[in-house]
Amino acid sequence: MTRFRITRRAALLGATGAVTTFAIGGRAFGQAAPVVFGALPPLSGAGGPYGPAMLRAIQGVVEEANAAGGIRGRPIRVVAEDDQTNPDAGVRGARKLIDVDRVTALMGTWASAVTTAVAPLCWENRIPLFTVSGADSITLLPHQGFIFRTQPNSRLQIATGADFLIRQGARRIFHLAAQSPFAQSSQEVLTEKFRAVQGGAVAGYIVYERDKTAFRSEVDQVLRARVDTVFLNGYLPDVTILLRELFRAGFEGRRFTPAYAVNQTTFQTLPNEVTNGVMTWQPSPDVNSGAFRRLQTRFGNVEVDPYSAQTHDHATLAILAAAQAGDASGVAIRDHVRRIASGSGEVVDNVTDGLRLINAGRAVNFDGASGPLDFDERGDIQGTKFRYERAENGRFVLMEIT
Amino acid sequence: MEDWRDLAQVLVNGLMTGSILMLPAIGFSCIFAVLRYPNFAVAGFATVGAFAGWVANVQWGMPVGLALLAAFLVAGAVGLAAEEAALKPLRPAGPLTVAIASVALTLLLENAVRFVFANDLRGYDLPVLRDWRFEGIRINPQQAMNVGYAALAAGALFALLAFTRLGRAMRAVADNPQLADIKGVDPDRIARVAVFLGAGLAGFGGMLVGLDTSIDPLTGFRVILSVFAAAVVGGLGSIPGAALGALVVGVGEELASVLLSPAYRTVTAFLAILLVLTVRPEGLLGRRG
Amino acid sequence: MEAYLAAMLVFAGIYALMALGLNVIWGLTGMVNLGLVGFFAVGAYASALLTKYWLWPMPLGWAAAGLAAALAGAVMAVIVARLRGDYLAIVTLGFAEVVRLVAANEVWLTNGTDGISGIPGPWRGAVSPQEFNLIFLGLVWTAVLVAFVLLARLSHAPFGRVLRAVREDEEVAAVAGKPVLWFKVRAFCLGAAVLGVAGALYAHYNAYIAPEGFAPLLTIYIVLALTAGGVGAMRGAVLGALLLLLLLEGTRFVAQEIPGVTPVQKAALREAIIAVSLILLLRFRPQGLIPERTRTRATP
Repeated sequence: MTRFRITRRAALLGATGAVTTFAIGGRAFGQAAPVVFGALPPLSGAGGPYGPAMLRAIQGVVEEANAAGGIRGRPIRVVAEDDQTNPDAGVRGARKLIDVDRVTALMGTWASAVTTAVAPLCWENRIPLFTVSGADSITLLPHQGFIFRTQPNSRLQIATGADFLIRQGARRIFHLAAQSPFAQSSQEVLTEKFRAVQGGAVAGYIVYERDKTAFRSEVDQVLRARVDTVFLNGYLPDVTILLRELFRAGFEGRRFTPAYAVNQTTFQTLPNEVTNGVMTWQPSPDVNSGAFRRLQTRFGNVEVDPYSAQTHDHATLAILAAAQAGDASGVAIRDHVRRIASGSGEVVDNVTDGLRLINAGRAVNFDGASGPLDFDERGDIQGTKFRYERAENGRFVLMEIT
Repeated sequence: MEDWRDLAQVLVNGLMTGSILMLPAIGFSCIFAVLRYPNFAVAGFATVGAFAGWVANVQWGMPVGLALLAAFLVAGAVGLAAEEAALKPLRPAGPLTVAIASVALTLLLENAVRFVFANDLRGYDLPVLRDWRFEGIRINPQQAMNVGYAALAAGALFALLAFTRLGRAMRAVADNPQLADIKGVDPDRIARVAVFLGAGLAGFGGMLVGLDTSIDPLTGFRVILSVFAAAVVGGLGSIPGAALGALVVGVGEELASVLLSPAYRTVTAFLAILLVLTVRPEGLLGRRG
Repeated sequence: MEAYLAAMLVFAGIYALMALGLNVIWGLTGMVNLGLVGFFAVGAYASALLTKYWLWPMPLGWAAAGLAAALAGAVMAVIVARLRGDYLAIVTLGFAEVVRLVAANEVWLTNGTDGISGIPGPWRGAVSPQEFNLIFLGLVWTAVLVAFVLLARLSHAPFGRVLRAVREDEEVAAVAGKPVLWFKVRAFCLGAAVLGVAGALYAHYNAYIAPEGFAPLLTIYIVLALTAGGVGAMRGAVLGALLLLLLLEGTRFVAQEIPGVTPVQKAALREAIIAVSLILLLRFRPQGLIPERTRTRATP
């Protein structure tokens, strides 16, 4: 019964979110034309389990910014379209947002294929695209600075994850990867890292079809390889099945997985004895950063998944950049993101404080819920910290932040 | 594959996978046998059943066995209602029109479920049990139970078809609708029963899928290609064929993930179809014509 | 707004080409093809690879796309020619999934799930994005016009009449001395070629293709479009594609206005409206908006 209560709360939260998007704007803003941002999260299809929370995080930031006076007196409006986790639908949605709603920033694309399909539209129309997609190829596109990716590229992410596992004592590892743009590059990094330690080896590597419902034979191969660690490089639906199957098979080794593949939903679908001990990692701000905590509170004290943390930051970056520029055009936002995201300005972790300081003419450095957000020239984040957590009795316990 | 145990393990895994595909495949074939059109909405029925079972099990606290019954009844009722409201009026336009409409219907059902339950993954209230081991071959009690549930449901259907008046009437309509009509069997009534049973079995199977995974609006969609493969391999309209086809596809998929690559499971299902159809265009147990 | 309309009309044109291709295979010959997105993908990949890595000129790439898809169609037709309609539906559905999985896994050829980006487009970059839109709009609808005229003439020519005969009763056609298999293979090739060219145009317009773009949903949409427009009539195929796009895009604006529901519920409502409209259309216009004129279809 407790399970239902949680989901009901989540549903209520969603409902209030939806109602308030219609309520914001208007009040207190007189005649100023609103600034319009576009959100393109997956609300159906394979990304469906992630998109709604991602959108809620964006709407939360916009509400907060409007309560704080908007962008130099102009209210902010978010228009959302469902990308259906499909590049074709994503492109049509993006066209509508760009050409009809005249958005000056797009945010919250999830699937790498959707992001890559939508990206040319963004740079041709000179508006920035904030994304959580992991494929390394995305920031290598000729995007003229219009792409900002808050997800660390997969090589960086896997390399730090591998270092952590080796520190934990892992030597023989099995890599179970969902078919995705970063399966192959993950495998290369893992092989390199484990070959470099005494007795280390990637003892097995399997790429599986993501939308299958049984992975028994795959788990048999993990058991047969006699490894001390299995790396589940997948997404929520398939990793949930794999965790259950590994538990049934009596696998006793370490289980390591990206934080987006095991979250609050996993605790609701699997008993604690199955999830206990699963280790996750994700890009993270400093331990004492307020942004992550605030977002947790806003989500009703449930665990925040990494994608929502990132879209929270997308919206904040776009708003603060526009406020800093005094101009909400796409080019102005692109040119001012780095100025408010890094540098020697006063560190802020939320949109209200950021807007207040910018309005007072002070320099700010926004550190978000997903990390310190320092972008390199290609639009990739750099110098981010990673947060390692272990599941214990339906909660995540912080292990370390490095 | 080093020794016989590995092979035996793959066969056991295939049996598990196959038994889960079996009921939706039987449901699909059951509707086809009587109504002569492929009802692609079985994916939707499976999802509806999985969610009905979830409500019964998690929200109302019913044990899994009863929840499976709820899944069967609700999916059957939804299937029947959809057939009467949306598909039946299209029958005069030909079986293909009905089949195409059933594709739209499955989109509708998926999104009806999404509207009510959103996209969150959900799990049943069920302990996760450790595997039994026999000579190093692992069998999970829950999965063994699932095979049992599937066998029970399939067995009940066989008994119904073999030993009851209703079953005989259904077989008569499936064999020859005109002749059955002459004999005084009401084909409309039989059609309704077939749709209810078919959709219900798909829903039952959908919940079995959910017991082993977690459910969301795409649950039915994920298994549907393998389900179709099973029905075609067995011979469309043949109910024992669908059961056999499900096992063939299940074992084939698990074998493929060991011998070929797990990324090519679906490809194997397709190759299985082609192979069987090249030798027997009417499927393993299907009838000619 | 103009840019949006132009872009959507480009999409409509591509869908119309797909519906026309499907109409040759399904409408005229009566072979159900639920694998059309597979042929579409073969064409898209062929042209993208040839023009991007082998630097072929674009028109040659498009021709090659048609050819590659036709070849795939020929193989498919030979394999499935003996199968009954309902078996055919499922086998072709499986074929499209195989194409998608091969594209996702054979990284050496297709770049895997990363997809192929930076596919050239006619004068892309040299003209403004909106000019590019308009150029492509002209290109796509020219292709639709050419395909339409050719296929419409063909369908009334002796070739088309034989195809219809095959559709209505294969055995009668065979008894009348028509080589049924040969006609089926040719029809399948022709339809697949049109689908392949549509795929190529899609690739060059979006500049990017990936396996995820070739999911069964697109097949479903096109099949529904053709059914709604009228199976067998070439005008029906084009009209159906326009109607499909109107539904896909129009529902966005309708869903936007529905108060008191969450974004996910809006997304669900939007897709549900599309499904219900198509079911209603089939209910009240079972032969589609433009029924085939030459001959009424026998009801079985």
